[in-house]
Amino acid sequence: MAPAYDVEFVEREERKARFLVRGVTPAFANGIRRAMVADVPTMAIDEVRFIENSSVMFDEQIALRMGLIPLTTPPEGEFVEGDTVTLAIDVEGPGTAYSGDFVSSDELVKPADLNVPIIDLKDGQRLEAEADAAMDRGKSHARHQGGVAVGYRHLQRVEVVGDRDQFEDEEPHIVRGVIEDDGELVPTSEFDHDLTVRYPGKEVRIEDVPNAFVFHVETDGSFSVEELVTRAIDSLEQRARELEDAVQL
Amino acid sequence: MELRVTESSENELSIEIGGEDHTFMNVLKGALLEHDDVSAATYDMNPEQSGGQTDPILTVKTIDGVDPLDALEAGAATVREKTSALREAFEAA
Amino acid sequence: MMVPVRCFTCGNVVGEHWEEFDTRAKEGEEDPQEVLDELGVERYCCRRMLVSHTDLVDVVSPYQ
Repeated sequence: MAPAYDVEFVEREERKARFLVRGVTPAFANGIRRAMVADVPTMAIDEVRFIENSSVMFDEQIALRMGLIPLTTPPEGEFVEGDTVTLAIDVEGPGTAYSGDFVSSDELVKPADLNVPIIDLKDGQRLEAEADAAMDRGKSHARHQGGVAVGYRHLQRVEVVGDRDQFEDEEPHIVRGVIEDDGELVPTSEFDHDLTVRYPGKEVRIEDVPNAFVFHVETDGSFSVEELVTRAIDSLEQRARELEDAVQL
Repeated sequence: MELRVTESSENELSIEIGGEDHTFMNVLKGALLEHDDVSAATYDMNPEQSGGQTDPILTVKTIDGVDPLDALEAGAATVREKTSALREAFEAA
Repeated sequence: MMVPVRCFTCGNVVGEHWEEFDTRAKEGEEDPQEVLDELGVERYCCRRMLVSHTDLVDVVSPYQ
């Protein structure tokens, strides 16, 4: 009894997407969401060896900043949790040390954004360090969290039921998310989230469409949205398989 | 994933599932409840700060003549079917 | 001191936009709202990270 799912993209970019999934139970939708936030492993710097740091910030503060820089995640299977990659940085002032100044020992793991300032260096100040990036899950620290602002909302169906009373005041009717109007998907941002803009002078009824969820997914640049979603699904599936195998014994 | 049976009878099973959290347990519970031969399924889990039992304990009750362990296996299979169906639908979109 | 790398609330990377925001809106004459919209910093949690930030490196550097 394989369930029938239907996925439709409303908005699609490399790092940001909105898509509608029909036929999912709330429990399953939430499982996917939670897996995206906490269970998809990403690379992040988690140990730094300072060779020289004469900047105005302490070693620990700089190490924290380095940890939060998103690194590209190698394709599945190349790395497992616990593997490390070394990145080196050597910048001398005056000038700013950027995430793009990191030199990685592995082409697959490098800063996803090159323009993040790490520390402003004054005349004669220098930052030289070696950093180890490790693969881990969002559950252990936020720096390993690949999904940013991941969430979902019910798809809402809007129906025009008649005309608004002649003497009734026009009040804004705010809805956020994506609405379905006669089978057509419309993001509410198209009409400023106000139904009275789209249906002037009409009386409308809105209801949640059962088991239809609009996911909003953004990534920090570690991987594409597609990658994040499929890896989250994989992580759930792998656990189901593990349980199945364990019970069979 | 470490499993430890805490209580077991003909139609009822309590099992501790080590290392899992709400992410998987709620999906599994939802899948179990979709089966007609499962009369009740729930899980109990304490927050990390509580200091006691923190791994989730899943309890499954089945109708007469059905082994709860088999029902659990079928539940896990349902989750697997759901994930592969969703992956297919997602990759098709 | 330095701009936070990520938004405290949602985890979005905001540090990379700081320098452009600083030159265009803080030191420049442009409207901060428009600059933030153009940079793609949408949510108000991320916007406040840039709007409310002040660089202090120059202030503390004499006291090394």
